[in-house]
Amino acid sequence: MGSFWRVLLKLLRVAQSFSTRILSRLAMTKSIHEVRDPIHGFIRLDSQERKIVDSWPFQRLRHIHQLALTHLVYPGGTHKRFEHSLGVMELAARVFDVVTSQENLVDLSELTRRSIPAEEQRRYWRRVVRMAALCHDLGHLPFSHSAEAALLPEGWDHERLSIAIILSNEMRAIWTDMVPPLNPLHIAKVAVSPKKVKHLQGYGVEVAYSDWEALLAEITVGDAFGVDRIDYLLRDSHHAGVPFGHVDHFRLIDTLRILPRTAGDSKEPVLGIEEGGLHAAEALLLARYFMYIQLYMHPVRRIYDIHLKDFLEAWLPEGKFPTDVVEHTKLTDNEVLTEINRSANNPASATHELAKRLVRRGHFKEVYRRNVDDMGLNLDPGAAVFKALQERYDPSLVRRDTYTKSEKSPEFPVRARDGRVMSSYGLSVVLKQIPVVSIDSVFVHPSHSQDARDWLQRERENILRSAEQPKED
Amino acid sequence: MKPMARKALIAHLAKLLRTKGSWSGETHVQKSVYLSQELLSVPFDFEFILYKHGPFSFELRDELASMLADGILRQEPQPYPYGPSLVPGPLAELLETKFPKTLSKYEGPLKLVVNQIGDRKAGELERIATAYFVTRENPKAGINERVEALVSLKPHVSEDEALSAVRYVDRLSEYVRSLGI
Repeated sequence: MGSFWRVLLKLLRVAQSFSTRILSRLAMTKSIHEVRDPIHGFIRLDSQERKIVDSWPFQRLRHIHQLALTHLVYPGGTHKRFEHSLGVMELAARVFDVVTSQENLVDLSELTRRSIPAEEQRRYWRRVVRMAALCHDLGHLPFSHSAEAALLPEGWDHERLSIAIILSNEMRAIWTDMVPPLNPLHIAKVAVSPKKVKHLQGYGVEVAYSDWEALLAEITVGDAFGVDRIDYLLRDSHHAGVPFGHVDHFRLIDTLRILPRTAGDSKEPVLGIEEGGLHAAEALLLARYFMYIQLYMHPVRRIYDIHLKDFLEAWLPEGKFPTDVVEHTKLTDNEVLTEINRSANNPASATHELAKRLVRRGHFKEVYRRNVDDMGLNLDPGAAVFKALQERYDPSLVRRDTYTKSEKSPEFPVRARDGRVMSSYGLSVVLKQIPVVSIDSVFVHPSHSQDARDWLQRERENILRSAEQPKED
Repeated sequence: MKPMARKALIAHLAKLLRTKGSWSGETHVQKSVYLSQELLSVPFDFEFILYKHGPFSFELRDELASMLADGILRQEPQPYPYGPSLVPGPLAELLETKFPKTLSKYEGPLKLVVNQIGDRKAGELERIATAYFVTRENPKAGINERVEALVSLKPHVSEDEALSAVRYVDRLSEYVRSLGI
């Protein structure tokens, strides 16, 4: 080889080595990371935020089903809390950016604007909202269990566990390392529902919400436009194949605004919407109603929840999940599923029958669901039917499931095209007509379900009339 | 209080608000229950936190939703700018007949609260209830200190409005004390 080629080859090697070093350094310092998501496209987060995602409490969410055992009814519903939490973070930032952008605040009165921090402080709060959204589900038990009241010691729920994790030493180290450092108490307060903020009292936190904190909580977990809800409706709908949950969230978010509360004399800043987004808001709240009726309250899904609770109560030490943060994070759906399968395959296991119900489709059948006509005969018809069926069969062969969605269709301010701020109920016939989801069902073991239905067909009215009614002391 | 008795009492409160000519929105019910419970010791046993619109009980919100679902309450639309009223529903009367002693026992305190705040607007209710909340939290604080605390938590309330609310709450508390309640 001639000297020219040798020199050229050497130069190329040097160039290659140099570029490899540069690229590798760039990769090490890459500050924005992307996660591809079926609902939101790319979800972006920076290296500081990624430390939270990479922490074990957050990674654990990869192994917690978002919809518990719903996949036994809707086979596609196998997604996990992990991707939901990322989605909530993404949406929280989008909403925060829209409602706090300067051009969307200009029409507010001086009194309403007083509650909103100056722009330089808002950067801090944007990060707080993102991290609160990311961490809002850290405390979920295996299978996101709705019967957690029975499966945790008194006074505990998943929100309290979320708070304990956010304030744990492992997470505190990450919060304080961020630039600027985040106050973990701010994150905890925005991450959990205000309904559960009392858990923060033990940490010496003021549980009263300022106007601004209430606004941030509305963004994350609010009744009307909380991004937790927007994400789970979109995601659950997508995975379960139930199209009712699909809403135009792009339009919805673009039209969200901080507005004074509607009722004339109050300047309180709350989350509202431009009139142009009202149909998207209607669609969101209708989607929630239909998703509850079609999916979340599906009777087979509900009875599997009860069967799972029965199994867990029998399997867990003293029937309760641990509340210590380290012990909590050791348990995922995987450990529970392994035990269910082991028990189902072992006739000698004390939990054999309970496990078989779960893995071999031995669920109880719904034989009664409360209706308003029956309430005219008895103020608590579900209790009357449940008691009658327990007396007719072995009580262990009968289960009751009651649930009332915790809020009615929310009212929020709408800025009409002429600039007036009005009640959503004044502008939308749809919103004031959305019913409250409420169920009260009784289930019976499959070996007796047909008999129970036939019997109720004949005796329902007598049962309701003769049952003891609620009375005064 | 038993759950059904509590529902009967809330339905009765909605009726009293209506009789008084109140708009009887959810804020009226929330603040009436709050003051009945905290100022007049009616044992509703709801937990209140300072949130949107002043002291707010999520348990009461859930209870109202459940009562709407069961037909014990119903919503009635109101003209601009008001939200809907909560009024007794088709099953309210049946429920009330089951708890005559409970209703009679607490009729006085409920009427007192309804007479005091039933016809006020939502913004006034927020301020009065928040002023009472701040007063309970800082029982030894003077007027100015409580006004400051109120405005700090709720900057959308002007100093004049806060002062007026704190003074009103002091007068109301004094009146209740004079009745020996």
